[in-house]
Amino acid sequence: MEFPAALFPSYFTAGPPREEGGPAPVAGWGEHGQVLEAGPGRRQAQPAFVPRRGATGERWEAAEAAAVPVLLPSAGCWIPSPAPQDILYRSSLCRKLRAGKSGATLDFAKQLGHFFVDHPEDAFGSLGRLLHKNFYLGNAKLKRPARNSTIRMTALLEDIDRLEARRGCPRQHLASRLRWFSHLCRDWLFEVPLGLLADCLHEELAQQWSSLLFDDSLTGGALAWLPPEDGKRPVGRLVHPGGQAMNHLYFQDVVLEELPHARGSPAQFELSGRIRQVAAARVDGQDFVGVRSDYHCGVWRVPGKTGAAPTPLQVIRTDVPASCLTVSPHLPGELSVCTQSGTVYLWSVETGLQQLRHDPQTMFFRDHSPWRWSDFTAHPRVLSCADRTGLQCLDARAPKRCHFDLFKVGEEAGCQQGERVVLPMYLGRAHPSQYLVTTQFSMYVLDERLPLVPVLKWAHMMKAPPLFAHLMPEKPGRSHKVLLGASRTQELLLLQYWGGSQSACQLAGTPQKLHSIAGCLQHLPTQLPHRHHLLQQRLSAPAAGLAATLQEDGPRKSMLIFQLSEAGDVFCQRLIHKATQHPAPPSRDEATTAPGSSPLFEAPASSPHGLSTAALRYRRWLRALSRAWREPPQHTWPPSLSQRRLFTRRDLEGPAGPSSLQKQMRQRLRQTMQEGGRIQRWEPLALQPPPLPQTLELAGGPDPLSNRLTAAWAGDWDQWWEERTSFSVAQRQRALRERRRRQKRARGHRSLSASFTSSLTYQSELSELSDGGPLLLSPGRPPVLSQESSPPAGSPPVRSHPPSPAPDEALLSSQSLRCRGIPKERRKTLRDYLSVWAEGPPEPPELPGSQASQLCFPSSQSQLSSASQPRRKRPRMGF
Amino acid sequence: SSNEHKLNFKKSKEACLSYIQDALLQKQWKRAAEFLTCYVESLEKDYSREHIGPSEMIWRIGTEILWHHSQSRMKEFNCFMEQMKTLGVKRYLKVCLEHVFHLLCNGQIDEAYQNLSLAESWRCGEQTAIQDKEIKLIQAYRGLLDYCSWSKQKKILLEHGDDGFADLAVEQEMHSYFRKAAVNLKEIIKIPGVWDVFVKCYVDLLEFYGEHNEARQVLNEYAYNSKFPANPNAHVYLYQFLKRQGESKKSLISALKILHDIVPSHELMIDFNTILQKSKKRKKRQLGLEVIFAALDYSGWKENAKAWSCLSRQVKQIVISEKHLDWIKQEWNSRKDWWPDFHFSRYLAKRNWQENKSLSYEKALVAGILLGKDCKYFKYVSHQGCKARLKRFRMLKKFMTRHNPRICG
Repeated sequence: MEFPAALFPSYFTAGPPREEGGPAPVAGWGEHGQVLEAGPGRRQAQPAFVPRRGATGERWEAAEAAAVPVLLPSAGCWIPSPAPQDILYRSSLCRKLRAGKSGATLDFAKQLGHFFVDHPEDAFGSLGRLLHKNFYLGNAKLKRPARNSTIRMTALLEDIDRLEARRGCPRQHLASRLRWFSHLCRDWLFEVPLGLLADCLHEELAQQWSSLLFDDSLTGGALAWLPPEDGKRPVGRLVHPGGQAMNHLYFQDVVLEELPHARGSPAQFELSGRIRQVAAARVDGQDFVGVRSDYHCGVWRVPGKTGAAPTPLQVIRTDVPASCLTVSPHLPGELSVCTQSGTVYLWSVETGLQQLRHDPQTMFFRDHSPWRWSDFTAHPRVLSCADRTGLQCLDARAPKRCHFDLFKVGEEAGCQQGERVVLPMYLGRAHPSQYLVTTQFSMYVLDERLPLVPVLKWAHMMKAPPLFAHLMPEKPGRSHKVLLGASRTQELLLLQYWGGSQSACQLAGTPQKLHSIAGCLQHLPTQLPHRHHLLQQRLSAPAAGLAATLQEDGPRKSMLIFQLSEAGDVFCQRLIHKATQHPAPPSRDEATTAPGSSPLFEAPASSPHGLSTAALRYRRWLRALSRAWREPPQHTWPPSLSQRRLFTRRDLEGPAGPSSLQKQMRQRLRQTMQEGGRIQRWEPLALQPPPLPQTLELAGGPDPLSNRLTAAWAGDWDQWWEERTSFSVAQRQRALRERRRRQKRARGHRSLSASFTSSLTYQSELSELSDGGPLLLSPGRPPVLSQESSPPAGSPPVRSHPPSPAPDEALLSSQSLRCRGIPKERRKTLRDYLSVWAEGPPEPPELPGSQASQLCFPSSQSQLSSASQPRRKRPRMGF
Repeated sequence: SSNEHKLNFKKSKEACLSYIQDALLQKQWKRAAEFLTCYVESLEKDYSREHIGPSEMIWRIGTEILWHHSQSRMKEFNCFMEQMKTLGVKRYLKVCLEHVFHLLCNGQIDEAYQNLSLAESWRCGEQTAIQDKEIKLIQAYRGLLDYCSWSKQKKILLEHGDDGFADLAVEQEMHSYFRKAAVNLKEIIKIPGVWDVFVKCYVDLLEFYGEHNEARQVLNEYAYNSKFPANPNAHVYLYQFLKRQGESKKSLISALKILHDIVPSHELMIDFNTILQKSKKRKKRQLGLEVIFAALDYSGWKENAKAWSCLSRQVKQIVISEKHLDWIKQEWNSRKDWWPDFHFSRYLAKRNWQENKSLSYEKALVAGILLGKDCKYFKYVSHQGCKARLKRFRMLKKFMTRHNPRICG
């Protein structure tokens, strides 16, 4: 590890920052900073000088006009986080009051109102219930006795409406009735004391607002790229969060071609919190991926081989939200964790957590932010830890004694007043002792061998503080690339630098702005206005992560940059290295790109589809997105079960109308009736039994399982079991007989329609009568009967429910028909008629109402019971 | 109203600036230049109290554009810079310095010198602290250029040592350069800062004229003054000076000891280790072992074959002599929980074997001594070595079986 023989000159003063300042839009331009004599070894006539900033760097050009989606949008709809207009108070009056003053006014009243309207139970529950008799909401005048104890609310509501209508009116205070009411109720009406509620709400609002201004929980970014081992095959792995709550972790194989595309389905893990940060480092050919959510941190190991599955190794839970998780590039399974309580841990998968520091105060001066960060350094046992005021390095073996200051927000580094550390990052892959520190104004490169004095400083001029950074190290002689990314504005900046060992650190080339996700909007085809709005909202969601990789394909070098948005979209852009530096012809990007003109969607001649791959990618992405929009969000629907899964299609097939046999019979019957003749005997027109309708399974009598479930549901499962096991056979038989008798009696009182049920019995009687003719209309009945009446010896009677009532009941006996006053000669006709009916499913319109249809089922049930013989046995065996 | 007009003007100014910024960040220099010509108007009504006013913005943006614009020439750049110097009094020195830097980087040393002289003589009322610093820097750079001329003259003088007449004139000129350079350089290195270039030049001047004591004082001050940052180079310069002066081992060691305390990973630690190992004192040799162990703690040294051979040599010596095994034990105690994974994993054994056989030999020796014969690293490398029929590795195996050191236990 060489140290540069000479460093760029600089003053060194200790103390707090003196320079006043603030965000300066152009502070990073036009300065060389300092110069240094280049290479003492050179013996030239004249000394040569190199600048600290402004040396020519490599030239990289974007391959596409915009960033291109890598993955299809996730199916679940995305709920955007609150925007300033949701929280802030906006009115002309307020603007006048605030003129000149900076600072936002939170719309406290609106939010409190929302709470009352959205959660009335929580706000007024008990008193509302107590008092609802005393509030009258109608329009009518109240009568005398009621007037004593009831308030008519209509007038109050009208007053409120009127108040809304004349907002801003100077005579606003004249709503005396409202004032009177609020004076009266303020102290006791609310479930939660109003003061307390208001405090909580205000606190929450202030917190929401501060996280809108700057959300540091995303620091570090939630996107990681695991490059292929040795760069042999162009298949790397993208680790990113997804899902509606961003609580799913995906490991997606990505093939690096002209445009990277996903291969296969990702390995997926569901976590119990929103993923804030994904950090990765490669040690000994294996990738270790650390994942941070607010209260949990986890670590996965991904073997170097492509396609090998990631293994979760360990999870820790914290009481205070964690603010940092970094993975050691030196030792396998080592990480560092910081929590917002100011604690720094070294976390080893093998030995557990080691607390290195606990200090709720900031290090160098007082700052209110609880944010802490920690990273590794060139020494595997020395960790850096940072807060908003600077960085210190601690030796994990003796954290109390051995430490030194690496960076201080102060005059030492030439900081401005109000400058704060935003993201520190160890640049070990470029140079073992280098460190990157970004603040909201500048970026610094530090060398731990020369602490406190930045070896490089540059005002980055970004509109939002850079929360993400990514390093792409290069071989000696070429510049290292650093990407800085901001969250809210999606800014991406590419910087190049070199030096640190043989020569002093230099910033090379000019910084380059890269495409943001939102920038592609102007290239997309025109959308319907509301679609456009939705798309805009989606595409301009704050960035949540950044990853990049360099790809060398023979002489061609390219750089792939992935950007993750809070909506879970991963976009990618490719930069191509231009070897020729000089006279650059005014290229496309010199021409102003007018909105609407879209080189992205211009058809290149080479493409067979008439569109570039990028455009095709967009088209697919947009299609998937619009599909996701069209599907109404799942949670607004009542929970339902898909029938298609529960039953096969055959199960669901309805009776397909009367069969040919039925038709024939009907025709014959009609004909015979017309002729006034009689049918002596149904001729076997077809030997096969008619197909059994299977539709009615559901409506069937309870089988043991459903019986049991019903009992369990009703809460008397014990009783059911009792019944099942302890009933003696005799008892049971008695009960059965008793029930049958009751049923018979009941049937006796029924009207004619009730007799339809018994048709089958009658039919069986008939078939018995018809001297052993082929059993046409009641197939498979005898076995059912035999089984039900006499259970096999040795096995206890299992069926607690009454055997299906229809079969063995004498239903339409001649006796009962006679009772109803049906003449003898017509009884037979009726029987004949009914027998035809009984074989097919009843036709609903001809049946009297629901009762009929209900009563009809047992008959088919009986048929069914024979068909489902084996099923009936199962419970018995199961018990 | 005028207020409204002011607001509108401000708004359009901001919009224009953001266009320029956008163009610059996308390297569209031509476009940026066009916008800048519009932005110049903002100078007319400069009400802003921001710390970077429009005039500074124009200077910064204009400079950047002229650096990169394909059609810009040095003449135009100089002309622009002259204009910018007159635009703001407070910024005059800074613009001058930047102008000089640009001239220097483009090899226009004489123009740069002229500009520095001009800037140095500039006076305008009371100086602010920043201006004071800037003027000191300007003087220092002038001193640096004087030094460059001096060394050029010196070279001529040394090359044409025979020509008597020319000698005198050249020598006189050289002396005048020396005086000018020395005065200016001496000033700046008194102020706390990183002045590597200036210190080196000044010491070179002093050494040439035999003022070794002052040179030593300057270097000591630069290295040990606590107001200065802990710059490893300051110690390196001192060490190199002492070495040049043929100082005793003891003073060299003390200089390097301090460097070791500040930067244990400095590349001079190998020299330090070599010096210490040669020492007859036990304490020094122990320190040598400490130094090389400490250096190898750093990831930058992981594959440094030289450092590993230093360590393996010393460790082997200790094992053979069977004296001071406790030194190794002491060093190993604080490392035994992480060095095996950090240096001696199977993955590294494989890779080191593939990439650098002699490194893997040295490391295997150390691993064998520290962790025993059964450690993954030693096993793999010695196996591979024997398979490849390399004599060295067979010897290594024999050595290990013969001595069977027990550090790990």
